[in-house]
Amino acid sequence: MAASLELSCWGGGWGLPSVHSESLVVMAYAKFSGAPLKVNVIDNTWRGSRGDVPILTTEDNIVSQPAKILNFLRKQKYNADYELSAKQGADTLAYIALLEEKLLPAVLHTFWVESDNYFTVTKPWFASQIPFPLSLILPGRMSRGALNRILLTRGQPPLYHLREVEAQIYRDAKECLNLLSNRLGTSQFFFGNTPSTLDAYVFGFLAPLYKVRFPKIQLQEHLKQLSNLCRFCDDILSSYFRISLGAFSCVNRYQQQIDFGEVHSHDSTT
Amino acid sequence: MSLVAEAFVSQIAAAEPWPENATLYQQLKGEQILLSDNAASLAVQAFLQMCNLPIKVVCRANAEYMSPSGKVPFIHVGNQVVSELGPIVQFVKAKGHSLSDGLDEVQKAEMKAYMELVNNMLLTAELYLQWCDEATVGEITHARYGSPYPWPLNHILAYQKQWEIKRKMKAIGWGKKTLDQVLEDVDQCCQALSQRLGTQPYFFNKQPTELDALVFGHLYTILTTQLTNDELSEKVLFLSEDGKW
Repeated sequence: MAASLELSCWGGGWGLPSVHSESLVVMAYAKFSGAPLKVNVIDNTWRGSRGDVPILTTEDNIVSQPAKILNFLRKQKYNADYELSAKQGADTLAYIALLEEKLLPAVLHTFWVESDNYFTVTKPWFASQIPFPLSLILPGRMSRGALNRILLTRGQPPLYHLREVEAQIYRDAKECLNLLSNRLGTSQFFFGNTPSTLDAYVFGFLAPLYKVRFPKIQLQEHLKQLSNLCRFCDDILSSYFRISLGAFSCVNRYQQQIDFGEVHSHDSTT
Repeated sequence: MSLVAEAFVSQIAAAEPWPENATLYQQLKGEQILLSDNAASLAVQAFLQMCNLPIKVVCRANAEYMSPSGKVPFIHVGNQVVSELGPIVQFVKAKGHSLSDGLDEVQKAEMKAYMELVNNMLLTAELYLQWCDEATVGEITHARYGSPYPWPLNHILAYQKQWEIKRKMKAIGWGKKTLDQVLEDVDQCCQALSQRLGTQPYFFNKQPTELDALVFGHLYTILTTQLTNDELSEKVLFLSEDGKW
């Protein structure tokens, strides 16, 4: 447990500690559970990998993918869910599945597939984070991966045409946002007064959608109408991520090391 | 189908009552149908049974190709064809029968979330086991999937389907999972379902809903299908409450 935990992930912008959903999920969970995480933001140097981000490195392990990283943190006794009942734990799994099936395709589409958004916002931002010539290749690859995922999971064989799928995925995403809003109601977090894994996932998926300025914003508009979800994101940002905007410029020339020293501890770190 | 077409269909659906000759199409029961398709078909049959709507099951070798979305089962009601549990539930609701009307908003959200959990984990695990586990693929899946067709079509179709499924697994991040990891996920899913069910007869109050139909379809099929690897059914057996069905 005294082993140093290093997380490499994409950097931040627009007031967020990270613009990448999966990285944000892990960062939020680390804050909630009190895990002392050293964050290495991907930058213009060639160190570290950029492929499977976020990646957690300790002295003897390398863990990728948010679900596995969260499991690893729990095994290290950084558990944000210790106050949850078994049923709430089950609900967490179910809602995470709902997010991945219904909301994720539309978020991927908004960021990576919608041409206006991709070419004016997403691609320049990601390209500015990584060195040339990788900046020419990696964003394109991520975009193709996103399109692939949407078509394979939601498209209808044998044609897999995007237009037929677009309307459906946005409708599902709006429904999902409504369901989340209903479930959250007026409480501060999804399960009582302390944040848990589900809050980390919801925050990770919603915050980029909420904060990043896009030209084509139908899903963002819908989200902004659900004031309790917006309040939820803002609350977490102001309570757990009190970082000055100066630390997160869009072009990182040097490696950023942000110590998560100021952490709200939840006596689970013993 | 597009939103306009869907709204149109719902309106037509609402106009007519449920006919007596509604039919459900699936693949051949004895020789062709696979675990995941059987589970889906059983879920739809259970749902319609719970709504007290008569349905006749017809087995056709090319059911998958007849379906509008490429997935079985699909139902043929009046002059409309609807496939997959989600749209079928909507369709039945447009006709005025619904199992989840009595639920409040939060419960409906929970129900949808749990249905996605089953689709996300159980269904994907079934597909993985059928198409990505070499032992099962070689002994059971290939033989069954292509059985109604002559050589070489049976091999070609089976390989084509396998390639398609493997692509999908890779896209959602399951491509690199080992069988043990998949079984662990199934375990987690079953535990979650078991926690949610507790000691009640159904997931929500005393009435069955589409979630009960879906879970029943999957669990029953997993428990009663012979595969090379029995671990899947062992995991599911721990859900002792399903004995109630």
